[in-house]
Amino acid sequence: MAVVGSTAEVRGTTGAVVAGSNRGMRWFRSLGWRHLLAWGVLVFALFPILWIISASFNPTGTLISQSLIPSELTWANYEELLLGTTPYVSWLVNTVVIAGLASLFITFLCFLAAYAFSRMRFRGRRTGLMSVLLIQMFPQTLAFVAIFLIMARIKDVFPPIGLGTQAGLILIYLGGAMGVNTWLMKGFLDTLPVELDESARIDGASHWQIFRYIIFPLVIPILAVVFVLSFIFLINDYVLASAVLGQGDPEKFTLSIGLYAYVSDQFNLRWGPFAAGAMMAGIPVVILFLFLQRYIVSGLTQGAVKG
Amino acid sequence: MTDLGTQGSATELPGSKDERRGEKPPRRSSSSVLPLVAKLLFLGVLNALAIISLPVMLAEDFWPGIITVALATIALDWAYLSKRAIPAKYLIPGTIFAIVFQVYPIIYSAYTSFTNFSTANRLTFEQALDQFERRSSNVPGSTRYQLTILGGDGGTGELAFFLTDDQGATYLGTADGLQPLEPDQIATDAEGDVQEVEGYVPLTIAQIGDRQQEILQQFEVPTEEGAIRAVTVTSAAVFNRLYSYDPDTGLLTDTETGTTYGQEEGNFVSADGDTLQPGWRIAIGFANFTRIFTSEAIRGPFVQVFIWNVVFAVLSVVTTFALGLGLAVALNHPGMRGRRVYRSLLILPYALPSFMTALIWAGMFNQEYGVINQILGASVPWLRDPTLAKLSILIVNLWLGFPYMFLISTGALQSIPEELKEAGYVDGATPRQAFRRITFPLLLISLAPLLIASFAFNFNNFNIIYLLNGGGPPIAGAQTPAGHTDILITYTYRLAFESGQGNEFGFASAIAIIIFILVGSISALSFRRTRALEEVV
Repeated sequence: MAVVGSTAEVRGTTGAVVAGSNRGMRWFRSLGWRHLLAWGVLVFALFPILWIISASFNPTGTLISQSLIPSELTWANYEELLLGTTPYVSWLVNTVVIAGLASLFITFLCFLAAYAFSRMRFRGRRTGLMSVLLIQMFPQTLAFVAIFLIMARIKDVFPPIGLGTQAGLILIYLGGAMGVNTWLMKGFLDTLPVELDESARIDGASHWQIFRYIIFPLVIPILAVVFVLSFIFLINDYVLASAVLGQGDPEKFTLSIGLYAYVSDQFNLRWGPFAAGAMMAGIPVVILFLFLQRYIVSGLTQGAVKG
Repeated sequence: MTDLGTQGSATELPGSKDERRGEKPPRRSSSSVLPLVAKLLFLGVLNALAIISLPVMLAEDFWPGIITVALATIALDWAYLSKRAIPAKYLIPGTIFAIVFQVYPIIYSAYTSFTNFSTANRLTFEQALDQFERRSSNVPGSTRYQLTILGGDGGTGELAFFLTDDQGATYLGTADGLQPLEPDQIATDAEGDVQEVEGYVPLTIAQIGDRQQEILQQFEVPTEEGAIRAVTVTSAAVFNRLYSYDPDTGLLTDTETGTTYGQEEGNFVSADGDTLQPGWRIAIGFANFTRIFTSEAIRGPFVQVFIWNVVFAVLSVVTTFALGLGLAVALNHPGMRGRRVYRSLLILPYALPSFMTALIWAGMFNQEYGVINQILGASVPWLRDPTLAKLSILIVNLWLGFPYMFLISTGALQSIPEELKEAGYVDGATPRQAFRRITFPLLLISLAPLLIASFAFNFNNFNIIYLLNGGGPPIAGAQTPAGHTDILITYTYRLAFESGQGNEFGFASAIAIIIFILVGSISALSFRRTRALEEVV
């Protein structure tokens, strides 16, 4: 690596053989522009986040009165949201439970499918893989009108999983389990040497034992990735949540439909509490994301078993 | 990549050998008892649930449910009891969910798009007719009764009316009809108030309050000329049927005026064009689709929405990928210090839930008080001017999307073997040439599926459009709710749930189907262009 880097540098500078090519210029050409670009994007990326943090501590709690650095820090907006009449805490709990459970099942279903596609050769495998990709092209959210009508019908027959229920919403989310994540996971599994399976098989392991004891421990990173990706995808869902839960009891709302209904009603006046709500829900997600970042990044990228 | 295929065919055989060979080692049999029990238990519960659910669904005539449950149960039983169907064991659970909650809704959308399903036409014909037949009018001077409301099971069961006419004769009215009562059938207290009649007891005031709607609007005692209904909670009167339906001619007749109503496009309509509500669902062929193209007031906005939708999706992918890849290239250098910190901070926008992002930026772009106008010291109508609103949306989507592109580009960059680039340098390539001719094409091959997926995702990126600006500003003169930044899916959503004329499920589904077709064909085209992908498959 280092060798390549230095040859590249040499080429870069020899290409511009100007008198007095100083160290600063060379540094800028090899590294400086990289830092400059990164800093530029950092400002763009972080400014809105800093602004919403500031809004959440802003004592007056309205959009009009907000400045980037609040005159004093208060918890008033947080108190307003947690102790006021808004069912914010219910929304938070609902979201974590619905998205968490659904993501868990999605990860499992997706892993099962990816394992079969990666490790087995069977009739219809290619068609299956293509259908997975095709189905993903027709996202579930597009069929929200039909889902609304179907759920209304299911409500007549099985009220506990019909329109307006959180269990129903979870089931609907599971319909999207075999999406592009199957491909992501299959790609990861393809990088695991087949010799691992074969040696286990020679030792007499069944297909389930290979799946459970050989493959599973190796794919925990990618499982974390798929879990977090689906979790983030699901907490962001507005259309399906609103189609299934939107006309019911506000206590059953998820955060996306709850917070939108809350802030869009009186955008200016409820800005502070909204910011506080965004912070409280956003920070755990961000922490979860950063905590698993190593897995997410390595899962998305290297994707291989080392040594 | 190429040797994967040969490895693949090698694994083909052991799949079946496995079962035979697996019998030999003794430790396997002991360790496989528990999974076997778990499997049988799971299948047992599943089959029990399926069997319990069938009569419930039969009673409701819920045929899609019956077929689904039956087929799913058979498929699961087969897959897990068979010794040979190993791939099926892994594929069937996810497939069932995908078929029921993803493929079926798409098919149902297609079906709905050919109907007039809407708020005014949401019932079946039988349900609508039932509503008309239950309508009755109070005839002036008809018999009036004094009413005591009764209920079975201590007041919680089915309703009944205890009726006294002006001659003092008493009757019990139930949903089955009216029956005269003899005094000895009535239990009264000291004040002469009714205590119990034929197992029915008077409702308490609280119970009347709870069941008010049922008492005043739904319950009726059928009689020959019509029905007895509650006028208040203490009085009832005879009502005459308002409509009579002749199943032979299919005509509905108003019994007061004698007007007849024929069936026309899912409604009863009189000769004068007077339409009765509610209507019912009927198939109307391609009417929803032709409406988009024949009605000028719908076509104009639709075309505008469509063009913006394509522009939005293309520019979103291009801008996010450009920034993400640029960053990935910049940071993917061994000499870079603080790469880890940069990376953690740069992916924050991706880690933050996007619905919040949209709402946060909506505040920042606010014309009067938003921070962007504060910094600029101007009053730029970011979200109210059609062009600026589009620009705002692209900026917000860039903020949201570049970290993902950064992550996947970094990954793809790192997976490209260094040797390839080195070989390029040996052959005299400059770093720029090496990137353009070696790295970038390899990146595109491995990222193509993700970029296509990103395009498809942005094509239907509901949150950013709807939550940032509600699709606004509105297009002037549009007959249906349509805005300058609306994309097809937000347009569909507003048609289905926010239209001023009620929920237009049929029309909204027609547009959803158009989106399906568009996204499908765009994807198909992209696949042709990325034939290289097939090698990976």
